[in-house]
Amino acid sequence: MSLLEIDDLHVTYSTGDGSVHAINGVSFDIDEGVNYGLAGESGSGKSTAAEAVLGLLPENGTVESGSVTFKGQDLLALSERERRDVLWEDIAYIPQSAMDALDPVMTTGAQIRQAIQTHRNVTKSKARDRVQELFDMVGLDPDRIDDYPHEFSGGMRQRVTIAMALALDPDLIIADEPTTGLDVIVQDKIIDKIIEIQDRIDSSLLLITHEVGVIAETCDELSILYGGKVMEQGSVDNVLVNPTNPYTMGLKNSFPEIDNVDEDPVSIPGSPPDLSEPPTGCAFRDRCPFADEECYESHPDLVDLPNRNHRSACHYVDNAAQMRRDAGDPRTWGIETDTASDGDHERGEVILETDGLEKWYTQSQSLLDRIRGDEPNHVRAVDGVSLSVRKSEVLGIAGESGCGKSTLGETVALLEEPTGGSITFDDTDIEEYQDGNMKAFREKAQIIFQDPFDSLNPRQTVRRLVGEPLAIHDRDRDTRARRVRETLERVGLTPAEKFLDQYPHELSGGQRQRVAIARALVLEPDFLVCDEPASMLDVSLKVNLLNLLRRLADEEDIGIIYISHDLASLTQVSDRLAIMYLGRIIEQGDTEAIVESPKHPYTESLLRAAPEKDPSVSRDRVLLEGEPPNPVDLPSGCAFAPRCPKAQDECYREEPGLDAAGGPNQSAACYFPVGEDPVADDGPATDDAGTGSTPQESD
Amino acid sequence: MSTETITWRDRAATVGEKVQNQLAFVLSDRMALVGVLVMVSFVFLGVFGPMLAPHDPIEDDIRDDEGDLLRLEGPSSVAPLGTTVYGKDILSQFLAGARPTLIVGLFGGLGTGVLGFLVGLVSGYYGGWVDEVLMRLTDLTFSLPFMPMALLLLTFVTPSIWLITVIIAGFLWKMPARVVRAEVLTLRERTFVKSARASGAGHLRTMFFHVAPNVLPIGFLYTAYGVAWAIAAAASLAFLGFGDPTTTSWGRMLRMVFDSGNIRVAWWWVFPPAIGIAAVTTSVFLIGRAYEEIINPEIQTEQ
Amino acid sequence: MSDFQRFLAKRIGIAIGLTLIAVTIIFVVLRMLPGSPFESLITAGNLTQGQVDEIMALYGLDKPIWQQYLIYLRNILTFQFGYSILQSQPVWDILAPKLANTLILLVPALVTTAVVSTLLGMYVGWNRGSKAETASIIGTTFLRSTPVFITAIFFVIIFSYTLDLVPAFGMRSITATPDGLLDTYMSMDFLHHYILPFTVTVLFYSGDFLLLARNGVVEKKGSEFLKLHRAKGLSENEQLMRAGRNSMLPVITYFALRLGMIFQGLILLEVVFAWPGIGRALVLAIQQQDYPLVQASVFIMALAVIIMNLVADVLYAYFDPTVSVSGGGA
Repeated sequence: MSLLEIDDLHVTYSTGDGSVHAINGVSFDIDEGVNYGLAGESGSGKSTAAEAVLGLLPENGTVESGSVTFKGQDLLALSERERRDVLWEDIAYIPQSAMDALDPVMTTGAQIRQAIQTHRNVTKSKARDRVQELFDMVGLDPDRIDDYPHEFSGGMRQRVTIAMALALDPDLIIADEPTTGLDVIVQDKIIDKIIEIQDRIDSSLLLITHEVGVIAETCDELSILYGGKVMEQGSVDNVLVNPTNPYTMGLKNSFPEIDNVDEDPVSIPGSPPDLSEPPTGCAFRDRCPFADEECYESHPDLVDLPNRNHRSACHYVDNAAQMRRDAGDPRTWGIETDTASDGDHERGEVILETDGLEKWYTQSQSLLDRIRGDEPNHVRAVDGVSLSVRKSEVLGIAGESGCGKSTLGETVALLEEPTGGSITFDDTDIEEYQDGNMKAFREKAQIIFQDPFDSLNPRQTVRRLVGEPLAIHDRDRDTRARRVRETLERVGLTPAEKFLDQYPHELSGGQRQRVAIARALVLEPDFLVCDEPASMLDVSLKVNLLNLLRRLADEEDIGIIYISHDLASLTQVSDRLAIMYLGRIIEQGDTEAIVESPKHPYTESLLRAAPEKDPSVSRDRVLLEGEPPNPVDLPSGCAFAPRCPKAQDECYREEPGLDAAGGPNQSAACYFPVGEDPVADDGPATDDAGTGSTPQESD
Repeated sequence: MSTETITWRDRAATVGEKVQNQLAFVLSDRMALVGVLVMVSFVFLGVFGPMLAPHDPIEDDIRDDEGDLLRLEGPSSVAPLGTTVYGKDILSQFLAGARPTLIVGLFGGLGTGVLGFLVGLVSGYYGGWVDEVLMRLTDLTFSLPFMPMALLLLTFVTPSIWLITVIIAGFLWKMPARVVRAEVLTLRERTFVKSARASGAGHLRTMFFHVAPNVLPIGFLYTAYGVAWAIAAAASLAFLGFGDPTTTSWGRMLRMVFDSGNIRVAWWWVFPPAIGIAAVTTSVFLIGRAYEEIINPEIQTEQ
Repeated sequence: MSDFQRFLAKRIGIAIGLTLIAVTIIFVVLRMLPGSPFESLITAGNLTQGQVDEIMALYGLDKPIWQQYLIYLRNILTFQFGYSILQSQPVWDILAPKLANTLILLVPALVTTAVVSTLLGMYVGWNRGSKAETASIIGTTFLRSTPVFITAIFFVIIFSYTLDLVPAFGMRSITATPDGLLDTYMSMDFLHHYILPFTVTVLFYSGDFLLLARNGVVEKKGSEFLKLHRAKGLSENEQLMRAGRNSMLPVITYFALRLGMIFQGLILLEVVFAWPGIGRALVLAIQQQDYPLVQASVFIMALAVIIMNLVADVLYAYFDPTVSVSGGGA
């Protein structure tokens, strides 16, 4: 008997305008001790499934039919009180956004203790001891159990929720996107922690994520959901290595891979299905290149593939091998590829150059300190950055959150006043623009922001949104109407008429981001800063966006700075890369050179931290100690030294310049670059997963 | 801005739709609907009340068939709502008294809303010393107790309905100012505001085209609340004897009945103005609450 | 100096500044507006020469205006309010018992309404859309939006005149001659007079607390952390308590603010119920042109507001763990 059996589950949400059929007949079993993955894009119903199991559906969500059996007990039939006894004691939960999931006015220790004392009759001090033990187990300082959530970083808060989930040794842990929103290095550490703990205790895990790579690394079996239906399920090795369902193929192909610089990821065109009616045919038919009439008539059953733990819901399973071959080719999906776009195209003249650029924020000072004339503390968000961007070139800037990359973007776009160094734009020093000529600068340099849900004024129509820059820069009415239309079509919002009078809330996330891009492009700028424009988008939309930006650089000679924490998408789109750490660029050079042989240890760990989507490929983890220090009181010498596995005395004495290491197309600020240092081999950098983890562990 | 015509026309088309959307809540919320009906009748009374009054509320004495002055008489055919202790017609006083109440409410509320909105907008948007100065100013009006200060002022300056309106707005603008400012502070950090600046929009454009429209609902809400506060404040002042002595208002009627010591007997004298004021202020708040539910996304749940 | 001390110093500085400005405004209104009340008081001829001399000396009325201002500042900031003109008693002797009468009515009423309405608000917020919610919202909206004197009049008409349950006016029967504090406030007679104004006060202020607590709980109800609490197996009541704890901050600060404004808020109530408190004393003093009394009561009311604003700010910073007060990070 399986631990958890879900059979033909149907869940709907009632909304103001009808109902949404979020889950339409999902079945899967989880055996004891198995790590089970649930993958899919947003709207696939994967989180709803978890909430249905936990009985945490929002008030407007209803389980229409189906059963959820846990250890032979029907969970859906339990009363509220009976369910409370099962929760946490038997099934624990790691929530999606650790940032908001902890009670802000209760200490972290008390929240875990509350979980223990709700179910077990133990004394407070016993419970506290257990909390300390748990903190230790997940790599947190046991002395911090009386700290409030806001005193922890995002990654540490996620560890707190993991500790909480482990508190009662549950049989099943449901983790809903446990690493979403975390930096790649932190994410890697959390995954490593989960794997390590899983090895030690015998709980099962239900892991829900949109990242196929995370599942490939942590799970034994998985189901791939789309439109509330299981498209494919089985053992991870079968499904992800040899997918038989076109959706799985598309999903897998749309994940960009870092080491594949030459191969563009293939996106799935179109958008997720409308679930206001239960799907009649195959849920994926509208976006599937292989779909025919049969797919419109009925949803294919999930059929067992011979002799393997592998099931797929596709009418054309028998053609899987052929489809796999075709799915790798973008043309199959109706995407035109410009063969010219990759590799060695000509780069134009330098459009923007910074030299020693600084942006320091002054911390507020007390009156007394000010009178005494004390030097105020500075947060060195950007600390001496020199870079240049040419026309038709994409410069990628990578780094973890808090490294100053967004500030750098806003400073070169002159949304923040630089506090030191110089910027030259179009052969003119920016001070000349700032002397009453800002309009000229704003006309030529544009910025695209991260959040497509927030970057458009909710009270303006698309026409006004895109037309506003033209109005500001005094274009006449006819020009404006024409340019708005042209630009919308250029970014793929066709026909433009359909969108002109819509408000942002009527658009999908991908469409909004396109409107934001149209707004930036409508003045035909020479230079564009993109600050994580794809980070909130689903994989397939992300790829579309990257391809669009690449095309802009190639065809319209725009110089682009692309800022992201996601190295995989950066390597896809960038000609050159710059890696930032604590306000400084620590490595810079041609994308290919950096990806193939990173010189700086930090670059190396960033590159290695991305999960591998192919379960047959094993990956060496580089787990860094600690988290980036506070940029106020920076250590002297190399800023990375305290976390660096191979730092020597020299590193603490003096900061290495960017020319300390490298080659013709690459330079890194490191005295002991990767691969050139004899000590490197016996450093902890190449340990196997599990043993080279964070050193705080005491057992 | 002739080149804007197209967008203006577009807007005009959508404005109608927007107003409809904004008012839809009234129909879905029964309390708000009742409130709207009360407000409509109140405005009608405020505009036409004095003309409908059968007698002059102050000059005319009500006498019976024998010509005797009807003092403190209950409702009768001569005076449907009875008479005051001085033999005046209460129905006429009630009808005439709606207008000063409406004037104070309307202009006091508008003044409160507009002044508070602008102060909050400018203070929140510019920040820095502008914010510091304006916020200290609101702190000051917060720390000056309204009632005692208003009483003090009205002791030395002859009260008139307009002066009272000004004093009320002068004390109440702090409420919307604080709320609007807090809202602007978060809006200012929103990406679309940055995005407007990045495309070259100046401060005025950013403030009025991008920030202001997004706080306008709160401005409306507090204007509505301002109406209720102003009516309540003016009635309270009149009740304490600091109203405009030349006009009949509902608050002044209550002072008359209370002062003359007839509250115990003359229920017909108490109820019309008391119920009038209570109905109007409650209605405004009921409408405001229903409106607040739709503009406050945090209170709103997915339903 | 820690962040919290710095914050405290700044808020105290602001409070002192506001007090000075408020005091100055009172001075300007009472002394410098045309037809200054003190002048008219003296020229009106109601007072004996001795009284006039005394007043002239106390307030320095024969000195230039800036010296008068300094004398005034010194007097008022050291709580030397002088003598009541009409009652020939030190102002403080007149006001102190009235202040006590006001506080004995207001503080218990405000505490009661804060506790009861907050709990009720949490409950109806949790049960959003229930009949109880609709009813409590209509009820409290009526109570908080209607001017308090109208509610008071309704209550007097119903409970005193119609049902004849409680007396309509005053704090004690005319025949009662209590001596000592205990006798004044701990008698059945007092309680009998107390019920009606107490109830009206509780009801009048209930709406704000109820709505604050309700909105807070409604807002928290969909939050991620409550979902985790739910997943942990907390009972419905325990969840509600967590939601309530997380919405307590605005309620606490609002309580402090209200406490500062109670004096002025209750002027009307005291007038309707003839409750011998400081608000009624102010209205009577204005009518009787007893300016030292007016000056002192307005000052006390302003000071209460300023101090309680300060307390509210400090409470907010103190009770919100996410506002750093430890002096550590930014």
